[in-house]
Amino acid sequence: MMKTENTNALGIIFPNIYDELVPELTSERLMASLPFASRYRIIDFVLSSMVSCGIDNIAVLVRKNYFSLLDHLGSGREWDLTRKNGGLTIFPPFAEKNMDVSSGKVSMIANLTGFLKSQREKYVILSDANIVSNFDFNALLDTHIESGADVTVAYTKQKLPQSIIEAENTTKSMYYTIDMDGTRVKKININSKEEGIQNFSMNTYVFEREKLVQLVNEVLIAGGIYLERDVLMPRLGSLNIHGYEYKEYVARIDSLKGYFDENMKLLDNENLDALFGNGKNPIHTKVRDDNPTRYITGASAKNVMVADGCVIEGDIENSILFRGVKVGKGAKVKNSILMQDTVVGEGANVDYVITDKKVQITEGKELKGTDTFPVFIAKKQVV
Amino acid sequence: MGKEMIAMLLAGGQGSRLYALTQKLAKPAVPFGGKYRIIDFPLSNCVNSGIDTVGILTQYQPLVLNEYIGNGQPWDLDRLYGGVHVLPPYQQASGSDWYKGTANAIYQNISFIDRYDPEYVIILSGDQICKQDYRDFLRFHKEKEAEFSVAVMEVPWEEAPRFGLMVADENDKITEFQEKPKEPKSNLASMGIYIFNWDILRKYLIEDEEDPQSENDFGNNIIPNLLRDNRNMYAYRFKGYWKDVGTISSLWEANMEVLDPEHSGINLFDEDWKIYSRNSGMTGHKINAGAYVENSMITDGCNISGSVKHSILFSGVKIEEGAEVEDAVIMGNAMIKSGAKVKHCIIAEDVIIGNDAVVGQMPEGDSKGVATVGPAIYVGDNAVVGPDAMVSDNVKDGDKQ
Repeated sequence: MMKTENTNALGIIFPNIYDELVPELTSERLMASLPFASRYRIIDFVLSSMVSCGIDNIAVLVRKNYFSLLDHLGSGREWDLTRKNGGLTIFPPFAEKNMDVSSGKVSMIANLTGFLKSQREKYVILSDANIVSNFDFNALLDTHIESGADVTVAYTKQKLPQSIIEAENTTKSMYYTIDMDGTRVKKININSKEEGIQNFSMNTYVFEREKLVQLVNEVLIAGGIYLERDVLMPRLGSLNIHGYEYKEYVARIDSLKGYFDENMKLLDNENLDALFGNGKNPIHTKVRDDNPTRYITGASAKNVMVADGCVIEGDIENSILFRGVKVGKGAKVKNSILMQDTVVGEGANVDYVITDKKVQITEGKELKGTDTFPVFIAKKQVV
Repeated sequence: MGKEMIAMLLAGGQGSRLYALTQKLAKPAVPFGGKYRIIDFPLSNCVNSGIDTVGILTQYQPLVLNEYIGNGQPWDLDRLYGGVHVLPPYQQASGSDWYKGTANAIYQNISFIDRYDPEYVIILSGDQICKQDYRDFLRFHKEKEAEFSVAVMEVPWEEAPRFGLMVADENDKITEFQEKPKEPKSNLASMGIYIFNWDILRKYLIEDEEDPQSENDFGNNIIPNLLRDNRNMYAYRFKGYWKDVGTISSLWEANMEVLDPEHSGINLFDEDWKIYSRNSGMTGHKINAGAYVENSMITDGCNISGSVKHSILFSGVKIEEGAEVEDAVIMGNAMIKSGAKVKHCIIAEDVIIGNDAVVGQMPEGDSKGVATVGPAIYVGDNAVVGPDAMVSDNVKDGDKQ
């Protein structure tokens, strides 16, 4: 276990970014509250990582569909963020200034000027919430301080996922690759279609707090909207922007298929270990006080990840079951993700299916998707 | 403002009959049912019954228990006024004393109870598995205009001599108390759960403390004194699940009953009466491709490659390929290595069972012993632990116990 330091940074999380990439799952929630890995919501990873790194002053800037997130976060107690100083602060959109909820981070951060000016931490760490990783923010911050950079951006070296290249909504959901000169960023590319290994930005940044406030206000007055396009790209010469390659396990949610695949990857113990294993920080989530999962005689389970509160009487294979799922006698569940409180009736047969919360699949029903097109069933539907 | 009723939970027991499990652990902190500790049951009962003030009386190996209770938040007992308080013996101007008996433990905390100025005090025990709505019990106590009520269970007559028995008339008024009698006059066994009017209890505690002959015990002193004075004493018949888990075999049995809620009556799947506990924070459990799981309860953080039948696994348990687990209670973070056979036994937290080791065996004829391996013990490769063994030291590779 890492030693917790008192980190001189506060965190800002953007939970709505990239909602458009998974419209099926975000019709009633936002990216940050997508259920992931049998018992978590995606935001649990960045929140828990920050807390484990000693960052205990975290602002979450919500834009829309945030009911489920408010319900999940509560006062922040599960992440030990119910603090007198700092802790968790959720900022709803500021109605009096800018109601365009799809606008970029410049106005969102500028709206926080008052809050940011009154804080004490020297640094600010910005993070999106479509990224699942057990991030060591101290290592990022140490690198930032040692390098003497004005801004540090984390990236991964990887091919760009097909789904994000082909996404229709990329004018809203812009993604960035960076070209490097040594460790310094010399160019930022928007929505690149380059093939081969790219430096794919995680949109995780370190700024000095006062510098960030000054920059976003300056840019906002000039009509700027996007942090990358309007703040960083015109200042590649005047700001020293440092690139930080992130080499640990990371899952990015960029489509429904990507969501499916990234969940399924955790059925591999090596990946599970890389995200949650020994020496990794614990990931906290809202507690539901479910009882342990019960396997009744006649049940069979192969290669599955299952949360608490389930009752399994049928066969489950290559699947991920969230809390409180019931699988009836003789039912078969393969290659599927069943979110909280899904009920699979007796004798039903389910293959390559994603069910949202509280879906009911009635007795004897057959539902089959394919590897490339898993069937998605929306919240509370009865099939 | 006073509280109508507060709870005092007796958690001081050393639990000597659970020896290997309680060497470094107070009995109420012993793990139970996959993700709970015994004390979760009375605490959850309290909060589900609307009791928001609980004093926990502890003096034996309190470290784990104190840390576990913390500020009481998992049970919703972190309150501005009231909440849960761990009450160890403390130094006073007149000197300091360990808790001499159950009654003395309450006596030493009279000032704690007085702070809440309660009408009633319910005395609970920290070594039972029971789901009980104390509101029903209090209603009974008020209806009878009792000064003292005790919750009782009807037990089979042949087992009655093992219990403290309340002899009651047709109105449930208690006329006599028999402690483990050879010839029982009643089959109403005391569950060790009492409701007192606080003024009465307070008076009898002070009197009892003044008696140098007294053992300062509820069963041996306070209850007989109440009877002597013809107090209004009633027996409240409780009909739900109740089990004293003071012995290895009863602890094992109660765990196994969790696997059969339809018959045993202990249902942990009750949305209306949740049992709360401190969360392990681990990820969902993983059952690998070659594993076999039958009629078992498995919780967060487990990783299973072997065969698991009719067993209860606590958080973070690892069962390697080729290992066989049957009729077993395996507590948190234990590891059962490849080829090991672990049957009809209790394995405590952080134990490692080596490759091809054998622990316990399925009952044959008269041999029904539940093998027990204490916390953080290493049982070596190819070692054998017999069905009646209680292991509290490491077992070397190949050794027999």
